[in-house]
Amino acid sequence: MNRVPAIFRPFIARAGTPVRPVKAALNYLAVSMVVVAVVWASLAAAGIALNFDFIAQYRVRLWDGFCMTVGISAASLVISLVIGIAVAAGQGAGVLPVRYLCDLYVKIIRGTPLIVQVYFFYYIIGTAWGVDNRVLAGIIILSLFSGAYIAEILRGSLLSLDAGQLEAARAVGFTRAQTLRYVVAPQLVARTLPALTGQVASIIKDSSLLSVIAVIELTQTIREITATNYNFFGGFLLLGALYLALTLPIMAVSRHFEKRLDYEH
Amino acid sequence: MNRTISLTRTAFAIRGSRVRRAFMAVAAAALLALSCVLAGCSSGSTGADSSTSPAADGAAASQGSTLRVAMELAYPPFETKDDAGNPEGLAVDFIRDFGAAYGYDVQIENTAWDGLIPALQTGKADLVISSMTITDERKQSVDFSDAYAMAQLAILANANSGVASIDDLNQPGKKVAVKTGSTGDVYATKNLTNAEIVRLADESACVTEVVQGKADGFLYDQLTIYRNHQANPDTTEAVFIPFQDAEEWGIAVKKGNTTLLDQLNAFIAQSKADGEFDRLTEKYLAEEKKAFDEYGFKWFFDFE
Repeated sequence: MNRVPAIFRPFIARAGTPVRPVKAALNYLAVSMVVVAVVWASLAAAGIALNFDFIAQYRVRLWDGFCMTVGISAASLVISLVIGIAVAAGQGAGVLPVRYLCDLYVKIIRGTPLIVQVYFFYYIIGTAWGVDNRVLAGIIILSLFSGAYIAEILRGSLLSLDAGQLEAARAVGFTRAQTLRYVVAPQLVARTLPALTGQVASIIKDSSLLSVIAVIELTQTIREITATNYNFFGGFLLLGALYLALTLPIMAVSRHFEKRLDYEH
Repeated sequence: MNRTISLTRTAFAIRGSRVRRAFMAVAAAALLALSCVLAGCSSGSTGADSSTSPAADGAAASQGSTLRVAMELAYPPFETKDDAGNPEGLAVDFIRDFGAAYGYDVQIENTAWDGLIPALQTGKADLVISSMTITDERKQSVDFSDAYAMAQLAILANANSGVASIDDLNQPGKKVAVKTGSTGDVYATKNLTNAEIVRLADESACVTEVVQGKADGFLYDQLTIYRNHQANPDTTEAVFIPFQDAEEWGIAVKKGNTTLLDQLNAFIAQSKADGEFDRLTEKYLAEEKKAFDEYGFKWFFDFE
């Protein structure tokens, strides 16, 4: 390590040792500045003048759209957690039709693009069964979509549990409930929480596709605004920034869980 | 424990090599397929305009330079694709004829509607011909040629909605489907203030909304309304009573590209005089022309 020249030392971290906060912050700042500079240079090279005057004009609609995105995502998160847990349990069920139904559900949802599911559900299933409210339909679609991914996350960590632990639990006289409470649950939480938090960020981004059935969430709001003022670049860059404002904190939480719960089993 | 781990490792190693081999095979197949598609595309789409001249600057009007034309190939029969996926349609023929007359290699870029004007602004395209109505708002972003066609808005109404005029649609509780950013959207936003406006990304979704009764009416041009009413005669009604002045379609170029604009205007004037539009009508719209004549509508190219 002494061979690293002094100039580079502020930018180097030894593998396996924690980086001091000040050093980390400075390095992060430097990287961010480079990214901003590249974006800036690209805009200049492409001859695009950004204009964000429209934000003040449309602030009410933007705020409504932002709230709609947050609301839909939150509702979908709750429902998809319920679906995910039920389906993960169902995939291990002894009743074969239940097991295969859950399996088929996960395969179909994960194997088709969300836009197909949106159109299929809203215009065929929704019309047939009288779900005409766009927001409600959007929440159901997004929940069904995300539920399959959550089921996979849960099933993956269930499978990774060592069968030997269950035997050991039985050997020391734990009941089924105690085994679940003291052996299975803590490990499941530790293994799934980071991935589940990541899934929240996915739900927020995926909700943008509900714009195709005219749910007035953030993306649809920006589409409508850019369709009238032709400020395509300002609109979509703002859109990206607003999504980042939601997803970056969530990713930070996910990373936090990852570190916090990363103990040897 | 140790035994299990080492066993798993062996299993992984074996599976690893098999997976790797399968992956290589799939990757090779994918590469092959991709190259076929690419080859097919390039030999297909270039078609008539396949001479390979270096791409000159958009503003240049020199012989043999490339003319990059952006259009949304989703509006038959003006801008669409043939069964093999090559650009086809009245506007495609028209702009290729223009290219032939002025010595351009016409290169058509299929671009989503929202991206058309940005394509001009960023110099990714030299002109846009995509059944685009000339509006004051759009004029702030691009320059338009003289009108090459005219169109009227019409209503595709749900059969049970009781909508027989534009006023029936402008009522509380009525839902109006429009394509986001289309002139129907502009009209509805400005004039149908009592109704709820449902903005959708493409026409087929708008038509579906009306067919299923989720929306009471869909505002779009007469030709699209006529065709979709033909396709859904039981569930829809077409309302053709004009409720605003005819819209004029123009070719858009980047602001300040007067060289290209002058050439386009000259060619449009010449086409109106020498029967180019009659030939194109005969080729693409013979049946619709008859229906329009029966209804007494003005035809797309009837300028006076």
